[in-house]
Amino acid sequence: MKLGAYLLWTPVAVAAGWTVLLGYLLDDAVNPLADLRLLLLRWAVWIAAAAVLMGLLNLLTVHWSKISLLEPGWPYSALVLLFFLTTLVLGVVFGTDYPIVSLLFQYVQLPVEASLMGLLAITLVLAGVRLMLRRRHLTSAIFLVVAVLVLLGTGPWPGGNASALQEAIVVGRRWITQVFAAGGARGIVIGIALGAITTGLRVLLASDRPYAD
Amino acid sequence: MSQTLSAILLLLFILLLLGYAALGRRRPALFRPIPGFDALGEAIERAVEAGDRVHVSLGTGSLLGPEAAPALAGLSLLSRIATRTSMSDRPAVVTAADGALVMLAQDTLRAAYSRVGAGQRYRHTSARMLAPSPFAYAATLPVLLATENVSANILVGSFGPEGALAADFGRQASSFVLAGSDDVPAQALMYATAEHPLIGEEVFAGGAYLQLGALHSASLRAQDAVRLILVLVILAATALRTLGLVG
Repeated sequence: MKLGAYLLWTPVAVAAGWTVLLGYLLDDAVNPLADLRLLLLRWAVWIAAAAVLMGLLNLLTVHWSKISLLEPGWPYSALVLLFFLTTLVLGVVFGTDYPIVSLLFQYVQLPVEASLMGLLAITLVLAGVRLMLRRRHLTSAIFLVVAVLVLLGTGPWPGGNASALQEAIVVGRRWITQVFAAGGARGIVIGIALGAITTGLRVLLASDRPYAD
Repeated sequence: MSQTLSAILLLLFILLLLGYAALGRRRPALFRPIPGFDALGEAIERAVEAGDRVHVSLGTGSLLGPEAAPALAGLSLLSRIATRTSMSDRPAVVTAADGALVMLAQDTLRAAYSRVGAGQRYRHTSARMLAPSPFAYAATLPVLLATENVSANILVGSFGPEGALAADFGRQASSFVLAGSDDVPAQALMYATAEHPLIGEEVFAGGAYLQLGALHSASLRAQDAVRLILVLVILAATALRTLGLVG
């Protein structure tokens, strides 16, 4: 990128970021930035909506390029384009409530996503077994033991719910999820929040410039 | 009250960031090893030498909202990865589920190639929106990994449960998998399926470990300092509450 463009975009992005942030930190009643903050946020929403269209255009371009160059997997790209354009035309011409558009979502999109969720359950069981083979250390063992305990303490048992062993496992599961897991998750969430703050601050201090370099 | 506290915390963060950045020149920080980042450089070199592609996923989140932060961390990593793979026969490919992130990825790739004098190698199709919904995004990954000869799979962004599937698809394609998310349940799932899972805030630490600049290293030191303060505040509050000194 040329030096001139870099010098233009960085102050604009930094000023917009600080305006929105300071707009949150000051009280609305005495906040000269409140209106400007709302205006910038409204612009951001519009730009994000336009970016969705750009993303779809990108999807079309990528798959069209694969088809025209007959790259490996081009028949998949042809199918994607066919269904993409069919759904788009039906949605634009007849509206999103049109029965065929609804049917496509109900009988294609939703079942595919639901079956992937089901696949995730199987994947995790296999991954748990592989974990012990691949990373043989204490944390992997704890991970697996806790996962099995929580599963046993959550699901129904074949012989009914009256056994003393099951009672003990249910109490153990509650103790693990409400004390250890909840405490650990809170610690992780605090860490993630601190990481997110510093990432945002680096953008506001123009150290990271995802918009231009 | 909460606005005042937020402002104080923000000011503290900025002072710590700038202070540690200045201190870092004289006393560089030593960070604990993170196996995923240690192995990343070697995986990229292997991919470049073998003529394979490196795939960087910026997640299934949007640029608007809190899930943007890990994607921005992913963009920082992408900048370094794109530079290192720019001379490869098959440069890095980037995917996301959000159009705005794809545009930022295109810009990051273009800038990285220009920096190393390889601007003519940039292709706008190297950054792709695979699908707008999380599971549809995961469903398209196996085809991408197979047809693009991906041998290093870097998932740094906001993922939900579909992140575990994305990591597992990478493993099935026999590629190096480094995976991190800002979502706690997704991190637990990725721990099981990814070769190199990133836990907690490690997803934001890539810039410091790949030495992207003084502020990246300073970020980790500032986070640790604020974390220590928060731990002390929590312990003090717990003690006061236990002793019945506060309501």
